[in-house]
Amino acid sequence: MTPPVKGDGMRGLSVFISDIRNCKSREAEIKRINKELANIRTKFKGDKTLDGYQKKKYVCKLLFIFLLGHDIDFGQKEAVNLLVSNKYTEKQIGYLFISVILNHESDLMRLIIQNIKNDLSSRNPIFITLALQCIANIGNREMADAFAQDIPKLLVSGDTLDTVKQSAALCLLKLIRTAPELMPTGEWTTRIIHLLNDQHLGVVTAACSLIDILVKRNPEEYKACVSLAVSRLSRIVTSTYTDFQDYTYYFVPAPWLSVKILRLLQNYPPPEDPSIKSRLNECLDTILQKAQEALKSKKLQHSNAKNAVLFEAINLIIHIDSEPNLLVKACNQLGNFLSHKDTNLRYLALESMCLLATSEFSHEAVKKHQETVINALKTERDISVRQRAVDLLYAMCDRTNAEEIVKEMLAYLETADYHIREEMVLKVAILAEKYAVDYTWYVDIMLNLIRIAGDYVSEEVWYRVIQIVVNRTDVQGYAAKTVFEALQAPACHENMVKVGGYILGEFGNLIAGDPRSSPLVQFELLHSKYHLCSPQTRCLLLSTYVKFINLFSEIKQQIQHVLKQENNLKSSDVEIQQRSVEYLQLSMIADADVLATVLEEMPSFPERESSILSSILQKKKPPMETIGQKEEKIEKTTTNVQNGHEAKLGQVQSIANVQPVDLIGLNSTPPSTKNHTPTAVTPVKSDQEALLDIFGGPVPPPAQSVPVSNNNLDSLFSDTFGVPTQVVSEVSQFNPILSIQDNHMQFIFTNVDTLFENEALKIFMKCEFKQNLARLTLTFLNKTNFVFQNFSVESTGNNDLVRVLPRALDTNTISSQFEVAQILNVECVNDFIECPQVLVQFSCEGTQSRFELNLPVFLNKFFDPVQMDSQTFFTRWKNLANPGQEQQKIFKANFPIDKERNSQTLINFGWSSLTGIDPNPENFCGAGIIHTSTQQYGCLYRLEPNRQAQMYRLTIRSNKESISKRLVELLDNQF
Amino acid sequence: MIGGVFMYNHKGEVLISRIYRDDIGRNAVDAFRVNVIHVRQQVRFPVVNIARTSFFYIKKSNIWIAVVTKENINAAMCFEFLNKAVEVMQSYFGKISEENIKNNFVLIYELLDEILDFGYPQNSDVGILKTYITQQGVKSQSKEETSQITNQVTGQIGWRREGIKYRRNELFLDVLEYVNLLMSPQGQVLSAHVAGKIVMKSYLSGMPECKFGINDKLTLDSKGKSSASGTESAGNLVGGSGKSSIAIDDIQFHQCVKLSKFESDHSISFIPPDGEFELMKYRTTKDINLPFRVIPLVKETGKGKMEVKVIVKSNFKSTLIGQKIEVRIPTPPNTCGVQLICIKGKAKYKASDNAIVWKIKRMGGMKESQLSAEIELMSNEKKKWTRPPISMSFEVPFAPSGFKVRYLKVFEPKLNYSDNETIKWVRYIGRSGLYETRC
Repeated sequence: MTPPVKGDGMRGLSVFISDIRNCKSREAEIKRINKELANIRTKFKGDKTLDGYQKKKYVCKLLFIFLLGHDIDFGQKEAVNLLVSNKYTEKQIGYLFISVILNHESDLMRLIIQNIKNDLSSRNPIFITLALQCIANIGNREMADAFAQDIPKLLVSGDTLDTVKQSAALCLLKLIRTAPELMPTGEWTTRIIHLLNDQHLGVVTAACSLIDILVKRNPEEYKACVSLAVSRLSRIVTSTYTDFQDYTYYFVPAPWLSVKILRLLQNYPPPEDPSIKSRLNECLDTILQKAQEALKSKKLQHSNAKNAVLFEAINLIIHIDSEPNLLVKACNQLGNFLSHKDTNLRYLALESMCLLATSEFSHEAVKKHQETVINALKTERDISVRQRAVDLLYAMCDRTNAEEIVKEMLAYLETADYHIREEMVLKVAILAEKYAVDYTWYVDIMLNLIRIAGDYVSEEVWYRVIQIVVNRTDVQGYAAKTVFEALQAPACHENMVKVGGYILGEFGNLIAGDPRSSPLVQFELLHSKYHLCSPQTRCLLLSTYVKFINLFSEIKQQIQHVLKQENNLKSSDVEIQQRSVEYLQLSMIADADVLATVLEEMPSFPERESSILSSILQKKKPPMETIGQKEEKIEKTTTNVQNGHEAKLGQVQSIANVQPVDLIGLNSTPPSTKNHTPTAVTPVKSDQEALLDIFGGPVPPPAQSVPVSNNNLDSLFSDTFGVPTQVVSEVSQFNPILSIQDNHMQFIFTNVDTLFENEALKIFMKCEFKQNLARLTLTFLNKTNFVFQNFSVESTGNNDLVRVLPRALDTNTISSQFEVAQILNVECVNDFIECPQVLVQFSCEGTQSRFELNLPVFLNKFFDPVQMDSQTFFTRWKNLANPGQEQQKIFKANFPIDKERNSQTLINFGWSSLTGIDPNPENFCGAGIIHTSTQQYGCLYRLEPNRQAQMYRLTIRSNKESISKRLVELLDNQF
Repeated sequence: MIGGVFMYNHKGEVLISRIYRDDIGRNAVDAFRVNVIHVRQQVRFPVVNIARTSFFYIKKSNIWIAVVTKENINAAMCFEFLNKAVEVMQSYFGKISEENIKNNFVLIYELLDEILDFGYPQNSDVGILKTYITQQGVKSQSKEETSQITNQVTGQIGWRREGIKYRRNELFLDVLEYVNLLMSPQGQVLSAHVAGKIVMKSYLSGMPECKFGINDKLTLDSKGKSSASGTESAGNLVGGSGKSSIAIDDIQFHQCVKLSKFESDHSISFIPPDGEFELMKYRTTKDINLPFRVIPLVKETGKGKMEVKVIVKSNFKSTLIGQKIEVRIPTPPNTCGVQLICIKGKAKYKASDNAIVWKIKRMGGMKESQLSAEIELMSNEKKKWTRPPISMSFEVPFAPSGFKVRYLKVFEPKLNYSDNETIKWVRYIGRSGLYETRC
């Protein structure tokens, strides 16, 4: 297999390798390897000392076995022994084994480091280079600590060979990447910088990479490198290529070095020293000129090398951004590439032009190529290139060409690839908004956009359309008309229906005068789409309908008819059902004035940053790199671009608006270019706000009249259908609770609330009671970033009067930010005072947590209210006259005496609040039955407030002393 | 149902690919090669799911045979089918090998068409298949013959054709048992079971009806004591003694056995196919007579040395002889030298398997033999050796479960040869399955 090398053949190795290759199956291979390993083990263990050749051979075999994917756990010692050898091949294999196999925490590390140290100080350059390679390959902390001092010495010492210097530079580079704080400072700085002046181009190239990373970490200290780099660059670029022998690649002098220097220079602002600056400009100019020259070779390598330098030079020109002359030249050069037959070139040209378009000097020059770019968009075969073309069009767009570019992009959208459609839609939307002089144009464009690419129109886009139409009175009529026409198409996109529904609901009256778009026609047109839409859109349409009732009372009948339809009134979708019921009631009960107030036109939206713009900001990823890594640069410039746009947008809008408003919330966006995070965060927020706006929108603004929250829904139902439901009156407090006990008293009156909360865990509880049984749903929310394991809830079982039975959990872990619901069944056996307890346990990150949780189950929860008339009440009252059956308490009022509130509190407590029983109307009376498994207890109460004294007298009578006592305790101080 | 069947050689090249359903694409072939055959993993799973496609496979010598499906299929059925298919192919062209498959690919496609229809397994009985899939090239059959084949295959007794005639009516019964064991070093049985099967070779004329009696506890108990005297006389077919009845955990019959009769009165009656077939399979877990006992003694004597002593005791009647005994003692992966002493048989350290292999050709009952080994170890071993169990293989001439054939009666109503005229042979073979002792 491997050709035998003279004298150093390692025949055993080649035989072994060919054996392995001839194995028929994996099993056979494993057998052969096992055999070989046993053989090597005996050899290494054996008493005979092996000579260097044999050691090398076996280490090689081990290496091969390792590379086949098997574990090797011996042989390191032998490999380290090889390092001591003076033969190159043996040393080399030793180093190879160590850099490939060695795990970092090996105890042999110290020995290895010692050996490397020896080699580094040897006189043989080859050994030094081997050692350097090994250091770089392992490249861990330990290596960095051990050699961070030695390598810089090697690097700058006068008597080291060039090749060694080269390796040393790259090795140091690797170590700095692992341990940045070990960066050489002080005296080393100048000496390292002066490597740029080295005779040997290889050393300069290696040093360039090293300096680049040093500069990134500490730009100030290495500032001096600029002038050296520029002079080096000019020597390469302006010289004739004869003096580079080895470093001329296909007629291009030292292309790699040039690219590296150009990139290094991009770390700094343009040089201040006029002579350096002019020299640099001269270099860049030469590079641009050379690009014009005819190719010296037909070979691909020649043009690749040449273009690599050229593109890097253009990047530098863009970075400097102060030389109109160069910028325009670069732009022209790129323009040539736009029609080049090489796709990669076209891609790169478009990409660089995108950056050029943002510079004030070259923006106009870029615009000259608009035709070509549009053409590229239409004819280009490669999708990534088309994507760049879209980016460029977006970047080069300004007031003068906006209309045309938007038109072209819209036209292209119809045939565009699915991948880039959404992004294009966003861009069109932004451009249309940004450069809209005439808002009818904007409305046209946007409606067209929805028509053409409805699926790709995200929520933000149509929210934005509505925001703009609502805020600009001059286009409302036009918008209503256009939308009405658009809706007449036989099949239109759901997004169109949404926009249409909203706009007609608000501004349908503006076009109602025209018999072709009379109210009834509008309504029927919208309703013809209703059944094809998703529930979300239907909800929106329902709101539109109710607005129609207000706008056009003549079609009230039809609309009420629709609202009454079974599939609305009894829809399985809660939102549709709720809206139907509420709107129907509203339209029937309320008079015209109320309707007009409730269903008033929406107020203007507060001006803020367009949510679309922020979403494209998030989308924008650094484009794919073909030549090298310049991500940071690109990112920076993109932010530049975006910020630039925002600024312009701000101007445009404030001109268009009568009052200068801070439209896009520029104040909230810090104008910094480096810090991306704030720009990324704010958009999210404004997205949400936008969303709230739109969804809050269709629901008539005064929220009190049409409540949304569940509790209030109950009350609505009770009003409408006369069903007595228990209404929760207390507002839940969601602030963190310090003591468990506090909040658990809250549950005397409510059934749903937060039971417990700290920074790690939140427990939310819901209870349902039925006679003597209760079902408690405890929802545990894990607020930490860790997983709760072995989570369990157990009954402590020391309360015989109330039994708690936890239902088995599906899972005993709660992932981070997840919740788990535990259902507990509770049975009240007999009257009780102490609340039942459960034991909650879980472990998190190895620490076990357990605590006892008082369940807020009180005696009054098992109440059933009883209605009775005055006579029965007093008969029973008198029956319960035995001593102990009556408990009385007089206490001061905690709250101002309010009849309504007190009545409600009593009802929440569980018993009835009877009126017209007590001769004094200020007093409260009522009754209830407590259900337990063993017995039922009837209870009666009287609550007599004294307004003058701000006192209450509470009397409770029941057939058991303990019950009366407990109930008094519970009600004490609640009024 | 089965979507396709693929066969690969050891390199992963496709030899046979037959697709039954449209939902299996051609790329499934490559998916299996890349994800199963070429993957370097220590443990392979018999069922692999790649991109919502399930692969069930077996490996025979160097050939991979895989069943592919996109549906939620009965896995046991797939493996049953695979093993059946292998059996069918083996009976047609012998050993499954790359060369044989390449030489017979037309036949294999023909067979695959027959035993699987649109992914549903069909008749895979070799005897029947051989009546219409022949290797002798196309032999034009007369209409009568074809209709006869059709009648038979679709008829009530699909497994036997009419008009078979033999000069000598003969039948052979082989009781084959595999003992599986896991024992603790102290000699405590951790798990043990016997998987047995009865293979029958019948050369009988006409359509004989057979009745088969075994010493199953359930059968004997259900018959009660009234018929006990009758069975006693018939039960001495082999003349063996020992336990009177055994408890069978699982039982599975060839399709020819009338299950209704077995359910009603626990009698096994059937019309046998001609030639060799597997009459039943069973499994027992109680009262197993373990033929051999392995006593390991492992001592780590200082750094880098280990002493292993293994004693093997035979635990059956001294008149019987066990054969092909092989004890496999695993060695640590850092072994670098082994010295062996054994009195009986041959022992050798096999580095390629990381084990000492000790072979004894024959060994009588109630005997014992010993091997001692000294193992030298490489010192710088960090990982602790997991000590895999010592495994053993053997063959003994009795049924370790205590299974006995009580009788086998043959009735032929038409040809009217009597039960006494048929010649019957019964043989018991006990083999090792996974027979391991921890050390």
